[in-house]
Amino acid sequence: MTEAIRLTDTDPRFVDEIKKAGGENILMCYQCGTCTSSCPVREIDERYDPLKIIRMAVLGMKKEVLSSDIIWLCSRCYACYEHCPQSVGVTEVLHAITNIAEKEGKEGNIRIKSLKPRLDGVFNDLIRKYGRLFEIKFFAHHALLSKGVVGLLSSAPDGFVMFRKGKLRLLPHKIKGMKQIERIFKIVGANEK
Amino acid sequence: MKFAYYPGCYLHGTALEYDMSTRAVCRKLGIELIELDDWNCCGAVEANNSLSIPLSARNLALAERMGLNIVAPCSVCFHKLSKANKMVKGDEKFRKKINEMIDGQYQGGVEVRHLLDIIVNEVGLERVSKDVKVPLEGVKAVPYYGCLIVRPSEIAKFDDPEDPQSLDDLIKATGAECLPYSHKVSCCGGGLLANKEDFALDMAKKIIDSAKRAGSNCIVVTCPLCHTMLDFQQSNIGSRYGITIDLPVLYFTQLLGLALGLGVKELGLDKNIVSPMKLLESIGIG
Ligand code: SF4
Ligand code: SF4
Ligand code: SF4
Repeated sequence: MTEAIRLTDTDPRFVDEIKKAGGENILMCYQCGTCTSSCPVREIDERYDPLKIIRMAVLGMKKEVLSSDIIWLCSRCYACYEHCPQSVGVTEVLHAITNIAEKEGKEGNIRIKSLKPRLDGVFNDLIRKYGRLFEIKFFAHHALLSKGVVGLLSSAPDGFVMFRKGKLRLLPHKIKGMKQIERIFKIVGANEK
Repeated sequence: MKFAYYPGCYLHGTALEYDMSTRAVCRKLGIELIELDDWNCCGAVEANNSLSIPLSARNLALAERMGLNIVAPCSVCFHKLSKANKMVKGDEKFRKKINEMIDGQYQGGVEVRHLLDIIVNEVGLERVSKDVKVPLEGVKAVPYYGCLIVRPSEIAKFDDPEDPQSLDDLIKATGAECLPYSHKVSCCGGGLLANKEDFALDMAKKIIDSAKRAGSNCIVVTCPLCHTMLDFQQSNIGSRYGITIDLPVLYFTQLLGLALGLGVKELGLDKNIVSPMKLLESIGIG
């Protein structure tokens, strides 16, 4: 049997946080389940359930939602967003939730097992540095983070195929407008504090 | 017809053949592409809104200075730039805030279009059909739209989100057969490849299965991320399931280019990971 939800343990301000983080319409949800039945990730693994995540969030179950591995599994396909009869903006609500989790993780309030925020961080750092993606470095970091040194080595043949076909640049291209890029990152960073 | 061309990061790297075939096809169809000078990454699937909106807006401002609308062949770029554009255009205060962030002057005067939209709806299928030199008889294609070129429809706008037709119509215009199948707008799993590879491969496999069941001999795509999942990852999917797939995945510009009489090399068809050469030989090309 599952444990009962004790509303005394919940955080009623969680919904407001989500609204501020880009999930403005979360309270429009009337629990029809259309999002869940549209979801291709749910088709693969029943534990992934967008309606359930939203419902738990509305109930204020902040800790349970944010520390769950499940929330990182959205592929951002927007099927739920398109089909939701209440214009909840499901994909954006889920995105807002992972943004909050990432912030809480950085502040040391929760531990995030999913690699997603760290991988996104690697990507963002490359953009911050060059203004564009430097693919070979991203792939290498990615392989190292997700599969360790063995993974990095085992991905080398793939990289070689790409290189032989002229698809991998060995040197990054830095754009001229780096001042603007740096400014964007600085302001976004300050806003998130 | 003249556009500011936004290739995005992938087309300058692992999707090189999409860039090559885009340029070649546009030249042939009288679309002048001027690469957006000093463009930056749109933020892709990795950056969240707070970052990708100003990053995208910088590109919009660059296009406005050129006095041109943007054309993007990457569905992810198309989505990110369109979304930023919609948000900035719809809210004066927000626009000011974003301009402050990018130290720029974007007034909201730019339109963002996907290359497929431009070819089907601006050049038009009549002109395309007239220019077809090599009807692609023997090609049995399934059109794969994926997600962001049609969803959210309030952002993508140009085709039906459930049963889009523009790529179907374009495939038919090349003389190839366009087969109906069940997965034209299903997700390829690309957004999960980095942090949940097994799910991503399962999702891509469903599309490949559906394409095979339909009796196709190639999948036609409109986005480098979809291409990565179906082409580059095809051998991974094969080994995960212990099967051989061998189904070529062409960018729609490569298919169209062939019909327009462009060469295999020019269209970068030697750069696809799953070789389309057997297919091309079977229809007398290559
Ligand atoms: S589809 Fe919309 S209204 Fe229905 S359960 Fe999902 S979020 Fe709620
Ligand atoms: S956007 Fe995420 S939650 Fe919504 S249907 Fe796609 S994978 Fe599922
Ligand atoms: S989506 Fe892609 S590839 Fe497309 S620019 Fe943006 S990051 Fe770079």
